[in-house]
Amino acid sequence: MSAPRGSARPTPRAHDVGRGVVVEGDRFDGATSTPRPPRRRLDALPYVLVAPVAIFIVGLALVPAAFTIIESFFKVDALDPPTRFTGIGNFVEIFQNHTVMNSVANTAFYVVVGVGVSTVLAIAMAVLLQHPFRGRGLVIAILILPWALPGVVEGILWSGIFDPNSGLINGLVATFHLGAGNAVLLGQNQLLTLALIEVVQVWQITPLSTLLIFAALQLIPDEIYEAAVVDGANQWRSFTSITLPLARPGIAVAMVQALIATLNIFDQPYVLNGAASTGASVTMETYFISFQNLNFGQGYALSLLVALVTVTLSLVVVRFVYRKVEL
Amino acid sequence: MKRRQARVTRQRAALAGLTAVALLAAGCSAGGGSATASGASTDFSGVTITVALPADSPPAADLAAFTQQTGIKVNWATSDWDSLQTKISAAATANTYFADVTNVDWSRVGQLGKLGWFQPLEKYLDANSLKADMPQLGSFTLNGHIVGVPYDSSYMVTTVNTDLFAKAGITTMPTTLDEYTNDLKQIKAKGVVEYPLNIPFAAAEGLSTYWYETTGALGGTVLDASGKPQFTDPSSPGYKAAQWMVDAIKGGLVPPGNINVNDSQGEQTLMAQGMAASTLSDYSGLINSLYNVKDSSKVTDKIQYLPTPGVTGPAGNLSNPDGMGIPKQAKNPAAAAKFIEWFNSASTQEDFSGLNGQDKVWGSSFIPSRISVVEKLAQAGGLADGTHLAAMLKTASPVFPQGAPTWYPTFSNAVYTNLHAAATGSMSVADAISAIAEVANQQARNG
Repeated sequence: MSAPRGSARPTPRAHDVGRGVVVEGDRFDGATSTPRPPRRRLDALPYVLVAPVAIFIVGLALVPAAFTIIESFFKVDALDPPTRFTGIGNFVEIFQNHTVMNSVANTAFYVVVGVGVSTVLAIAMAVLLQHPFRGRGLVIAILILPWALPGVVEGILWSGIFDPNSGLINGLVATFHLGAGNAVLLGQNQLLTLALIEVVQVWQITPLSTLLIFAALQLIPDEIYEAAVVDGANQWRSFTSITLPLARPGIAVAMVQALIATLNIFDQPYVLNGAASTGASVTMETYFISFQNLNFGQGYALSLLVALVTVTLSLVVVRFVYRKVEL
Repeated sequence: MKRRQARVTRQRAALAGLTAVALLAAGCSAGGGSATASGASTDFSGVTITVALPADSPPAADLAAFTQQTGIKVNWATSDWDSLQTKISAAATANTYFADVTNVDWSRVGQLGKLGWFQPLEKYLDANSLKADMPQLGSFTLNGHIVGVPYDSSYMVTTVNTDLFAKAGITTMPTTLDEYTNDLKQIKAKGVVEYPLNIPFAAAEGLSTYWYETTGALGGTVLDASGKPQFTDPSSPGYKAAQWMVDAIKGGLVPPGNINVNDSQGEQTLMAQGMAASTLSDYSGLINSLYNVKDSSKVTDKIQYLPTPGVTGPAGNLSNPDGMGIPKQAKNPAAAAKFIEWFNSASTQEDFSGLNGQDKVWGSSFIPSRISVVEKLAQAGGLADGTHLAAMLKTASPVFPQGAPTWYPTFSNAVYTNLHAAATGSMSVADAISAIAEVANQQARNG
């Protein structure tokens, strides 16, 4: 049977696919429709294999996240029961708390300096490691060590280095007659304290950034550099026109991991500088509010703000730094 | 055939996946179950308990003897005081297990008792017999429930390096704070040491304790019975104490680097190395456990306890006992109670304090919590500078006679962060005192 006379066939649209609309080339027969292919049995294997990870993600990330969002609007204080709704009360209190605001400023310093310096250092080190040389594997193994150490261990290690009475830095200063050798490095001057704490963190996070960028550089074919040389490009031009653009996916990931680490900095300022306001970070304040003051509602609210800032800044980095590279 | 093989492989893979899920679920379930108290079983063979304290482990022979007696194995975890308080709070709020026995500090009894984070020990121990021999048990009791058992009865005390004082020509020890300050200035002026006084100005609990002791030396207290601050008036002992401490670092009596030195660092790197001549608020028992230990000290037999110099004469000392208790989430509370009973028995305290030979001495045992053991120790001459210690023990009193407020950790945080800031010069003493008072008032209002 043919189509009814005078009726025009509608133009198929993308959203019509799957709704029984016949697209060009198909045969339409009002009396006998094409037999449907046999229904595929539901294959459970992919779901079963993914289930453990899914349970972990739901149980350890999504449920706590949902819990945090909800509880941040409640007064949850172990010393002041019962739990009760406060709306945005927790958030208002946070913004009125000058200690928290001071820690926000400190954390901003950690983020800007930490992400900037670690990324520049990581690019430099990745470029140095880009071409094979004898002992490169060993260098990479040594490079990764600071990243493998727990933050608290690093804090203790560096507190020995910065110790004004018996630390390495003051010891060297005294040995080389560069000063009295008892300079106070941490705690006295806020800018110096922040800078030294961030030095320790950069020392920790740069290895991973280096490896991420190094991995991206390994994907760049040598032929591109060879062609650039033939075209008369010098090393700097090759770096700016080939290496940097093609390494952008790796750089973006490295920056995001540095961003997350610096926004959540805790171990280094806590071990090196105690609870002092000169170096306290937002996560430290979250911890004090939650576990020392036992004001969990406010702690949840502050955690939520930190998470939102982390996601937002990460998206900004990805938007402006990441570029898809096809080689 | 190939299809069948593929199906078999898929079935196996599916089985493996299901097994993984089941194992995961079982793991989660076991974790949750193990966090629950196991009840008061008395069969302890094969039971292992974790003991987390801010102190090194007793000699292995002591713990082995306990295991032999009871069948309970002990996993000893040492942690510094501040970190341990964090672990206690984190584990309790997350309702997870971290230790069967852990530290109960006098300053947190009010909070821990109110929150019910620790098991009431009268359920397991004979409270009456403990009370009779442990005068500081009261500091660990709230509303009739024993939150912890004190394992030492240490208190704050002034320590002086007699050698450095003598080198400065000081042979008569000071009895007032003015004399003490002048003596320290004399030591500095004569170049005996550049910085004679140790005050740990790091923003940590030790700084708060130092301020309480100095306030006590000046005849005052920091909070009244209702939690109201007693230090806001510039003529009050608390205010004067803060001013004295800040003046000491600004005036060059305290090493500038102490801005980031905590109490134990100050003891080890300054006092024990002979770099400082005195600590106004030190811990009783340190002569035994640190200053007279040749491996870690350059001042053996040179440190002496001194009754804390006061306004017109020696002042009282603040008691600073450490206790141990059983967290609510302990896996083996009955075994933990058995351990606490053994650890604090008279015979074990005698072993720890050296009355039964040096091989059983526990280095972290400062002053036994049992009066009967202290008396035996004093009689046997086993307490370094015991005459002074015994005299001062009689005048030791709690920082908060009415009991530490439930909001003590918040208050202490305000004390050490603001005093630290005043010492760095980023705020004045007046502003620091005002900020501390504001926190205290706010917390007292909230109850």
